[in-house]
Amino acid sequence: MVFLSIFSRYIPASCSHWEHRSAAYSTMSSQDSSVWQQCPLVVGVETSSQSASDGETDCEVITVTIGATVPTGFENTAAEEVQEKIGADATISKDRGRIYFQITTDKLSQVHHLRSVDNLFVVVEEYDNYQFRDSKEETLEDLQKLASKLPWTNALKVWKLNTSLKKKRGPHRRPQGPKGKGRRGRDFRDRGKANNDVVETDTMETVTSEIEKLQLEPQEPTAGQGGGVGEARTPDLENSPLGEQQEVEGQEPGPKVLKFRVTCSRAGDKHSFSSNEAARDFGGAVQDFFQWKADMTKFDIEVLLNIHNVEVVIGIALTEESLHRRNITHFGPTTLRSTLCYGMLRLSKPQASDVILDPMCGTGAIPLEGAIEWQQAFYLAGDNNDMAVSRTVNNICHIQKKRLDKGSTPGLPIDTVQWDLCHLPMRTSSVDIIITDMPFGKRMGSRKKNWDLYPPCLREMARVSRPGSGKAVILTQDKKCFQKAISRMGGLWRKHHTVWVNVGGLHAGVFLLKRTAGIFGQTPEDVREPLEEQPGKEKPAEEREKEVK
Amino acid sequence: MFCILRVYAFFSSGLCGSQATEVRVSEVEFNPNFVSRMIPTLDWSALVQAADGLGLLQGLPAELVTDYEKNEDFLRKVHRVLLEVEVLEGCLQCPESGREFPISRGVPNMLLNEDEA
Repeated sequence: MVFLSIFSRYIPASCSHWEHRSAAYSTMSSQDSSVWQQCPLVVGVETSSQSASDGETDCEVITVTIGATVPTGFENTAAEEVQEKIGADATISKDRGRIYFQITTDKLSQVHHLRSVDNLFVVVEEYDNYQFRDSKEETLEDLQKLASKLPWTNALKVWKLNTSLKKKRGPHRRPQGPKGKGRRGRDFRDRGKANNDVVETDTMETVTSEIEKLQLEPQEPTAGQGGGVGEARTPDLENSPLGEQQEVEGQEPGPKVLKFRVTCSRAGDKHSFSSNEAARDFGGAVQDFFQWKADMTKFDIEVLLNIHNVEVVIGIALTEESLHRRNITHFGPTTLRSTLCYGMLRLSKPQASDVILDPMCGTGAIPLEGAIEWQQAFYLAGDNNDMAVSRTVNNICHIQKKRLDKGSTPGLPIDTVQWDLCHLPMRTSSVDIIITDMPFGKRMGSRKKNWDLYPPCLREMARVSRPGSGKAVILTQDKKCFQKAISRMGGLWRKHHTVWVNVGGLHAGVFLLKRTAGIFGQTPEDVREPLEEQPGKEKPAEEREKEVK
Repeated sequence: MFCILRVYAFFSSGLCGSQATEVRVSEVEFNPNFVSRMIPTLDWSALVQAADGLGLLQGLPAELVTDYEKNEDFLRKVHRVLLEVEVLEGCLQCPESGREFPISRGVPNMLLNEDEA
């Protein structure tokens, strides 16, 4: 194992656990001798009598740092969830959509139960203050050299453990839907995007083509090529990267080449290179080092190179990108990713027996996430649009069926209704929490429509909310319109807290509002003029009638 | 899916029970804490009336019992009627105006017409 030998050279103190690791490869075939020609640094490794097994039976429990990407603005919420479910303290990269925390490998499966994270990776190395050299050539050269110096071992152990855990969990079915694929592309840009920095996220195309140009001839294992390093070889030196590949691929006969890709994201205005170039050069060096094969789409390992000014983090991905939309199979044009829904729900702190309303639920993403994660509350999902209602019903059915298949009680505490959100068929003061995604006026509706929509909508929400204890968590990109509408309703709503987020490349706000103790219809500014000079659509008599009931 | 009985407790409309053409009972995890906290917020007589209309009264008392928090048997009955019974096809009727709102695939359509708004 090339990296093994390098590792032991540079970090002798932590060598001890290598004994266990090397044993796992002892049943490797002898055919990979040719690979050693590429690996000049070969150091003796102790033999162990342990037989080959797959990564998870490696009895060594190690501590590693896990990184997670979360919707920007919800880093604190995610850190809370980590504390609650894993018991670890998380470090936050504020407004960069990233948190880090440490775990021991025996708890690895728990990270996949986190509902506020989009993607997870294991940290190979992190540099707080990486010294980039002056010229592009020198910098890229440094990156290339870096590949062979990094402490890959633990991270690769975790990756392997994670892969075997994934197999146990079963294949993840990718959600289908007309707009589903489009959204994935957008969300990828959200990762780590700060407000002012320019972030380049280059992955697939460029990197792979560059790497393939650099790629050496595919390694054909032949007995004759072992000559050059013969004298340095002991039985254990036949443990090479190929050996690892064989182990990973499981029962497949013969050595199989591991496939990988490098994803680089770079932010900062003082860099002399592009993320493209970094990915290419770093990737090339990684490939040389491990003798893996570059593959853009069918990779086994995804190496992450994250550069933010002078902070450099190298990691190995533990999740695939498709996990944002875990609950939704029937997409609409503006479906929110589940991690964002979770963040909003968490902000509202649902209590047992709370009635939680989404008056413009679209495909039902928010109430559905709530019904799954906070089952002690009751959810009402409603929309005026036929298709939205239909999609919501389908999404709920789908989840219920999944639960039934897994042997859990299928029923969820959620109902769907078709209604007009300005005439909610709900009793006054009957709702504890309102959580919704209000139209942005870009993909849905228009700015002008928002001026007409927001005030009566907020009033109706105030009516059904419980005075004094009611809350609302509202996501909108039309912050100006929203803030203006709210400012005219001081008697009913008070702004408590705002989280600035990034949704599909748009800068949006999640407003947490508290319902005042004011009785609806009796507050000082109880006039119903819209923001422009137009007569209100609702008749006062109708309104009073509803309140009486 | 829509459970008319729990909705009735929140909604201002009445139930036209004879027109519930399709009803379903599905299993929802029993949470006594949730149920007992829900009860004070319900219009109890309305709930009983609706359940009766669907022929699903099953021992629910006309008046709320005292100390229901500890009464698991009672709570389970409420749980069933509140969370597990669903009207898939039927209608909701407003007791004041008589206006009927259809229920289809478990979803009541409460949209008002132009002239009603």
